[in-house]
Amino acid sequence: MEHKNRPPLGLILSGAWGAICLFSAIFGNFLPGPKWDDYDYENFSSPMFTDGHFLGTDTDGQDILAGLIHGARTSLGVSLLSITISLAIGGALGILAAYRRGWIDRVLSMLFNVMLSVPNIVLVLVFVAIFSSPDISDPSAGLPKWIVLVASFTLIVIPFLGRVARSSTLSWTGREFVLVAESIGMTRRSILLTHIVPNVVPSLISIYCLGAGLLIVVEGGLSVLGLGFDSGGSWGSMLAKNRNELAFSPHTTLIPATVIALTVMSLNYLADYLRLRIDGRESRI
Amino acid sequence: MKIKSVAVTIIQFVIVLFLVTFGITLLVRLLPGDPVSTLMPFATEETRLQLSKELGLDANIFQYYFRWLGDFVTGDLGTYYASTGNGGGVAVTEMLAVAFPRTLLLMIYVIAFSLLVSIPVGILLAYRAGTRLDNVISNTMFTISAIPAFALGLGLAFIFGVKLNWVPVLGYEPISQGIGKHIKSMILPTLSLSIGYVAIFSRLLRVDTIATLREDFVTMASSKGLSNSWILWRHVFRPSSSGILTIAGLNMAGLIGGSVFIETVFALNGFGNLLAVSIATRQYLAIQSLVAIVAIAFLVFNLLTDLLYAVVDPRVASHRGA
Repeated sequence: MEHKNRPPLGLILSGAWGAICLFSAIFGNFLPGPKWDDYDYENFSSPMFTDGHFLGTDTDGQDILAGLIHGARTSLGVSLLSITISLAIGGALGILAAYRRGWIDRVLSMLFNVMLSVPNIVLVLVFVAIFSSPDISDPSAGLPKWIVLVASFTLIVIPFLGRVARSSTLSWTGREFVLVAESIGMTRRSILLTHIVPNVVPSLISIYCLGAGLLIVVEGGLSVLGLGFDSGGSWGSMLAKNRNELAFSPHTTLIPATVIALTVMSLNYLADYLRLRIDGRESRI
Repeated sequence: MKIKSVAVTIIQFVIVLFLVTFGITLLVRLLPGDPVSTLMPFATEETRLQLSKELGLDANIFQYYFRWLGDFVTGDLGTYYASTGNGGGVAVTEMLAVAFPRTLLLMIYVIAFSLLVSIPVGILLAYRAGTRLDNVISNTMFTISAIPAFALGLGLAFIFGVKLNWVPVLGYEPISQGIGKHIKSMILPTLSLSIGYVAIFSRLLRVDTIATLREDFVTMASSKGLSNSWILWRHVFRPSSSGILTIAGLNMAGLIGGSVFIETVFALNGFGNLLAVSIATRQYLAIQSLVAIVAIAFLVFNLLTDLLYAVVDPRVASHRGA
């Protein structure tokens, strides 16, 4: 169906959206226009395309577009940082469990299973509570919000990546080239690094994209519960802060909701595309 | 299934359950801050001592855990303390009696609706695999499924609640208030949670059905001259449905607690809300009991799905028995 040399339209669109988000996340601070935490006291809840506010303002006079640009940094940053740390830790643990087998495997698998038997949203709520301020009447004390979120997100994603890494490693350790490497006397460490890891990592990449999307959603959800960033500091926080204004200025909520949805769509599409590519590669071996 | 494998499954079940509940005990103990002054900032010294005893702060973690476990299995889920008062509170069971049925109903509606839509769609797509229809529907569903439930919920609330004014935007109406009102209050939450599942379920059923359609017994059936719809429903659907049942079972369990964002968006005050508020206000005993309930539900559904699997697709039982 598809032309061989042309990338599919979905990939182009997802890539373009991803590039816009990454650009905003990295260079957002240097862009002209109002800042996300400037309060325009003359323009509350102004509609889209009004003077000086391309996407309008919310009830506090905060510029929506500036909020989205700043939110790209916080939402994407928190999600990508957490999933990257989880990939490193979870991937390493999963590969270790599968390659070493024995008690390490049993302990780690049990740990993953236990963590996966509590819905991840429940688990993230517990972790956020643990890492947040010890004094619930003063939520701003204690660790900065982004550290709380990154730590909690990392912990809930590790078992997923660990389990996938484990099963992927198991499917590779039995292959002929690993047996050959063992029989010619290669050390376990070098077999791991040269034969196992390069083959396992691709299978984790698609989970990585899916996980990044999931964490953006979780961050948004936590904001709805009042546990995420404050005062419009992320996409989820913008949506949560303005959702009571749905009847009066719907764009203040629906725009961040759309941006979250588009980002997750792009990440899911990317994950799906990568999965198909990698599956094709593996079946050729 | 053999007796031995059932025994192993049950033993594993008990071990995981123990580890989950004990793990949550450890985590709850790690919550920062002084529990007593968090729960009752204005309490007298006497009530403080009593509360600290009730919370098991005088005991070590093992004594505390087994005391909680004893209470839990005898139906005492602890007390939910009112933060403003200086003593007393509401039994968690009492709050649960209000919150749990709401979440349970939501869960049933979501799974029923998702299966109702995705089974015909999945089979149709498998039957028409590779056609334009398949491409368009598959891609559309995949795209829509990426929309987070709470974002979708807000969008639906805006269209059907604010613009068209067909349904209320917030709040829960029990069935006793009239079935129409009840359905109106639940339809948006159900839709927002279902759309993602419809996409997952029908995608899975499509793949499984395509695999079944390649089996010899299907060729056999069609060579006997049976009609296409007879073959699809009588021969193909049952062996193809184990995957979708597993996923439905697992997701159903995940919805207890997992529906918290949607419950908050639509102010349903269900189980997820109760759990989130308990965690935010450091209701130590309530957190433990509620998370234990979630984990038990999750594991039980896991077990049931596993058993159901063998019933639905006899090939599974014979493979496993071998």
